[in-house]
Amino acid sequence: MKTVFRHPPENFTGKRYWRSLEELADTPQFRTWLEREFPAGAAEMEMDGVSRRNFLRLMAASMAMAGIGLSGCRRPEAYLVPYTKSVEWLIPGKAVLYATSMPGPLGGLPLIATTYEGRPTKLEGNPLVPSSNGGTDLFAQAAVLDLYDPDRARVFLSNGKETTAQEFDKYLGGVRKQLELGKGEGIGLLLDEQFSPTRDRMLHSLNEQFPQAKFYSYEPLNFEERDLAINALFGPDVAIRPVFANADVVVSLDCDFLGSEQMLQGVRDFSRRRRVEGSVARMNRLYAVENRFTLTGGMADHRFRCAASQVPAFAFQLAKKVAGSTNDRVLGAVVAEFSETGTQFDDTWLTECANDLVARKGRSLVLVGNRFPAWVHSVVLAMNNALGAFGSTLAVLSVPRVKTGNLGALVADAKSHTLKKLFILSGNPVYTAPADLDWSGVQRSIPEVVRLGYSMDETSAEANWHVPEAHFLESWGDQRAPDGTYLPIQPMILPLFGGLSQIDVLSRLTALPNGVQAVRDTFKSFTKERDFEAAWTGFLRNGYAAQTPYEAAKVELNPNALPELLKTSGSLPGPVTPSSIEVVFPADYKVYDGRYANNAWLQELPDPITKLTWDNAVLLSKSTAKALQVDDGDVIEISASDRKLQAPVMIAPGHADYSLSLSLGYGRWVVGKIGRDTGFNAYELRTTSALYYATRATVKVIQKNGHQLVQTQNHYSMEGRALVREGTVEDYKKNPGFAKDVWMDADNPPNVSLYSHPPLNAPNQWAMSVDLNACTGCSACVVACQAENNIPVVGKEQVYNAREMHWMRIDRYFASAEGDKNNPHLEDDPEMVMQPMMCQHCENAPCETVCPVNATVHSEEGLNLMVYNRCIGTRYCSNNCPFKVRRFNFFNYNDRPILDRIEKGLPGFQGKSELYLGPLAPWGMAEISKMQKNPNVTVRSRGVMEKCTYCVQRIETAKISQRVKAGVKGDLTLPTDSVQSACQQACPSEAIVFGDLKDPTSRVSQRRTLPQNYHLLEYLNLQTRTGYLARIRNPNPKMPGAGKVGKINVDENGDQRHGLPHAENQNPGGNA
Amino acid sequence: MANIFPRWTNYLPLKIVFCLLVLGGALSAFYWYYLTPEYMRAGYQPIQPVPFPHDIHVTQLGMDCRYCHSYVEVSSHSNIPTTQTCMNCHTQIQANNPKLAAVRESWQSGNPVDWVKIHQVPDFAYFNHSVHVNRGISCVSCHGQVNHMDVVYQKEPLSMGWCLNCHRNPENNLRPINQVFNLDWKPGSAESQEQIGLELKQQWNINPPQTCEGCHR
Repeated sequence: MKTVFRHPPENFTGKRYWRSLEELADTPQFRTWLEREFPAGAAEMEMDGVSRRNFLRLMAASMAMAGIGLSGCRRPEAYLVPYTKSVEWLIPGKAVLYATSMPGPLGGLPLIATTYEGRPTKLEGNPLVPSSNGGTDLFAQAAVLDLYDPDRARVFLSNGKETTAQEFDKYLGGVRKQLELGKGEGIGLLLDEQFSPTRDRMLHSLNEQFPQAKFYSYEPLNFEERDLAINALFGPDVAIRPVFANADVVVSLDCDFLGSEQMLQGVRDFSRRRRVEGSVARMNRLYAVENRFTLTGGMADHRFRCAASQVPAFAFQLAKKVAGSTNDRVLGAVVAEFSETGTQFDDTWLTECANDLVARKGRSLVLVGNRFPAWVHSVVLAMNNALGAFGSTLAVLSVPRVKTGNLGALVADAKSHTLKKLFILSGNPVYTAPADLDWSGVQRSIPEVVRLGYSMDETSAEANWHVPEAHFLESWGDQRAPDGTYLPIQPMILPLFGGLSQIDVLSRLTALPNGVQAVRDTFKSFTKERDFEAAWTGFLRNGYAAQTPYEAAKVELNPNALPELLKTSGSLPGPVTPSSIEVVFPADYKVYDGRYANNAWLQELPDPITKLTWDNAVLLSKSTAKALQVDDGDVIEISASDRKLQAPVMIAPGHADYSLSLSLGYGRWVVGKIGRDTGFNAYELRTTSALYYATRATVKVIQKNGHQLVQTQNHYSMEGRALVREGTVEDYKKNPGFAKDVWMDADNPPNVSLYSHPPLNAPNQWAMSVDLNACTGCSACVVACQAENNIPVVGKEQVYNAREMHWMRIDRYFASAEGDKNNPHLEDDPEMVMQPMMCQHCENAPCETVCPVNATVHSEEGLNLMVYNRCIGTRYCSNNCPFKVRRFNFFNYNDRPILDRIEKGLPGFQGKSELYLGPLAPWGMAEISKMQKNPNVTVRSRGVMEKCTYCVQRIETAKISQRVKAGVKGDLTLPTDSVQSACQQACPSEAIVFGDLKDPTSRVSQRRTLPQNYHLLEYLNLQTRTGYLARIRNPNPKMPGAGKVGKINVDENGDQRHGLPHAENQNPGGNA
Repeated sequence: MANIFPRWTNYLPLKIVFCLLVLGGALSAFYWYYLTPEYMRAGYQPIQPVPFPHDIHVTQLGMDCRYCHSYVEVSSHSNIPTTQTCMNCHTQIQANNPKLAAVRESWQSGNPVDWVKIHQVPDFAYFNHSVHVNRGISCVSCHGQVNHMDVVYQKEPLSMGWCLNCHRNPENNLRPINQVFNLDWKPGSAESQEQIGLELKQQWNINPPQTCEGCHR
């Protein structure tokens, strides 16, 4: 008897999940794409001029060549090279962990660096720090690759000529003399936004010694307007931080507080109020108003598509509603300042949202994006004041800052020739400065420019001195976390190329002690311990100084300052129309403002929302694309503020109409090999008056299909098998197990495996649980996995061929309610769900049964093992994997050049990657790149399959250390939750949990008992070890469209939705 | 009747045999050189930069293995001593011995001594010293009686089958924990190795991994 599964056809009456517009449209192209096992597979790719025949020809030639020189096969003599002097703390083969931190524009990020024989290989969050849970963002995960960037600045340059560090020291000595002579006259420092007490102390000292010296600061993704409003209303040196732990209702007005504007403590606290562990009572509710899908918008219960230029009007109208129902005097006065209301938005939406905020007065919070004008911030601050947020959901902190001028002041000083010498200690203004400033010209007009830069970039190229900057893993320093906790920056390694840190340069100018002494001097003001040495040691060991958060500022909103700020509002911008389009410049999720453009991990990482790699694109909505008659990959010319820019287009579901999003950070022209030829430079359109968005832009189509955008999105279709399951709080209350018996899993006939089940009798049984309710999709886990498991980067061309190597991916699904007559453009306003997907470690693994050489087998601990040295590369396993999580090394990505192109030679191969030269391609990994590799994980070669191992090296390390500890005592029980997978470790929202199922107190066991736990493709009897917790949304029933939120598994009546009769028993022989 | 076969054919069989011999020889040489497993060269005894005699240091002078290989109990690697360790004694003892020239030179210049690696497992096999020596497996089980070697050589094949033999039957190599670094230890006359091994295996909960992830990651 044979069981034939009949998957229910996709649900056409309720909500559908889709991953791309092609899938939704179900075009013939998409069909053929799906029909290939490895889409656009190796054998038949002909679209770029290489036919199968050509390929075979080349390979035959390569084989012949290989036959001649087999001498490499013999074992070479290997050497054991000990140290000459024993090194303190260091044990060869064992990791040494150091606490450090990473500087960032929002504050320091506490980290623990893993080092092997003195080289840092992996960064993890420091869970000891009270505001951290050990999570990180993806920039911190990728930072270690920056340390080993082969394109780093290696030499000191003076007017383009190579010189030495000693020469530069001599030069700085001269500068110091000049400073002394003129009290700092004519000397300026350009800084970035940082919270380093040592740097601040040196700047103060510089200011005292040389009061005429000037400080300027510039962040391309600026906080200037926000700080302007806060300082006017609350006084100087005040910062405001959201306290999500107290917030029941959060309204985000284009504030991506879970994404590009995140502080990790916020992500952690938000998710702790979001995750459902037994009860939905404490679950928060999120409203998002935004022009493009952000990670925050994806988490929202209610999302309102709104052009960025209309968000101020939205904020004002929301404030009006709140003022109406709270009768707050101050907010009432703010509202009365405006004579017009701007574009009218959905009134029910605004009313119900405001009612929800007011109903939870003191437990609600409104956030607005950092880059909106100051008057918008003041309206929102007044609104929060009316809602009683201050002291509850908003903390007002006293954050001392060094006074600096902005870039405009710097330009003015340069133009008036008062500035003779400029030290650019950070940033890349030639690339990032507003286009109308002509920064490049300004910089050249300054007689002497000294640039401290991490790599040769646009600014270095036009500076007199270029000084290589030390990585934060190479230098002493300090940081304050966003909550103020004092954190050390410890060097893990001497500067690889003799670079200097900002503190090094400042200490020479101020004649203050340098390096560790500088930080010790600062630390004195942070400790009250009598024993300084003990306190210092503890500070370095734990990675933070206890009880050092910022003090609460005892100030209140000063309503008298409001009218002044509101005067700057002018008239609200008119609505966006096809002839008056707005252009928005968001931060990029991967390269931020361009500073990470030469990081290969980040370039290859699919953008969390668009799944675009190695590129940026103009994002627009489907209706806008229709109106402009453009499609994916068409190149358009955008004209805004008298400037023009050509860029490719990509249709983004959920985008506001007549609004274009151009993420910053690409299209750099002086950059290393990785960042070259990636994307376009959106800074070209960005002017001083339009730092966040420009209005009244027009668009012209230049070339149809002019640019190949490479996404990882369509590569893996799930064919409507309801892998993501979600419901609402109401559904959960009705039936907490709503996610279990739905679709094919409902009344599923018992399945019997034909194959023998592996004996799972080991004392540990490993498993994972992923909470879809907490996952924002930020992709820190993907980069963490890449760093931990030595996963290579493959380059744009190979990603196009669906050969990316990431062991874990994040599937992003859009969901929309079809058949709604009121909403004809259903693709335009979907919901978004993230699903991390990695090897599910099926107990009945389909991959294992088809491997002809037993290269993938099961362990007694329930791990689906991949044995590289057995693998012969048939790829049957990948064929048979229902989740498509196996990755094949089509080339030796580690040792062959992935970015170099074939210039001449074989016809049909010009312009393709040198990978296609096979054995004729240059061989070998750069020495500096080898240093990053995790010594506990095999570096795979060509022709081998690989996949998520549940971080088996960490499991084995834990088991071995327990055995070593046990010795002859024989107690082999691992402490509860002592093994963390790299993805779990990196997750700031605690969505991923890994551990031992045999231990009932482990977190993974506890999550398994939650009612919303479900497993993928249960009806196939896979017995997956990774479980998912269904997503639960918390819509406000009174909001418009609330009935359609989160309704995939439960229909409008609250009943579980089933598919067709699920299985049909067929009897081929006709006998019963 | 003329000869059907010309005269030169008389030597043809001989020539064929000769060619086959040469071809066979070449093939054997090829297989021997290229295709024998690289990690099973029991008997491999390369020349070291310093002719370090283990027998003098261990057997004659009674030094413990862990004086030099100091991290064997805590790390996956059994470290090779630093030049500093050598110079602890050799600044005074044999301070001018020409055989130690390389060590002295390293001490002065700071450049390490390049010892030739003898025991080598493939890169995809992760052997851990600490877990073996802390659980009753002596150095001698894998390295042979290094304490009696003048020049160290590879005693065992270190092949996967050889590893698994012990992982399947650890009783053949288990010994009392205080005898792990005594390379001359033999089971007492009353008991056989197997008896002792089985007893210790039971007592210490010895359960060596036999699935792939134990060594391949």
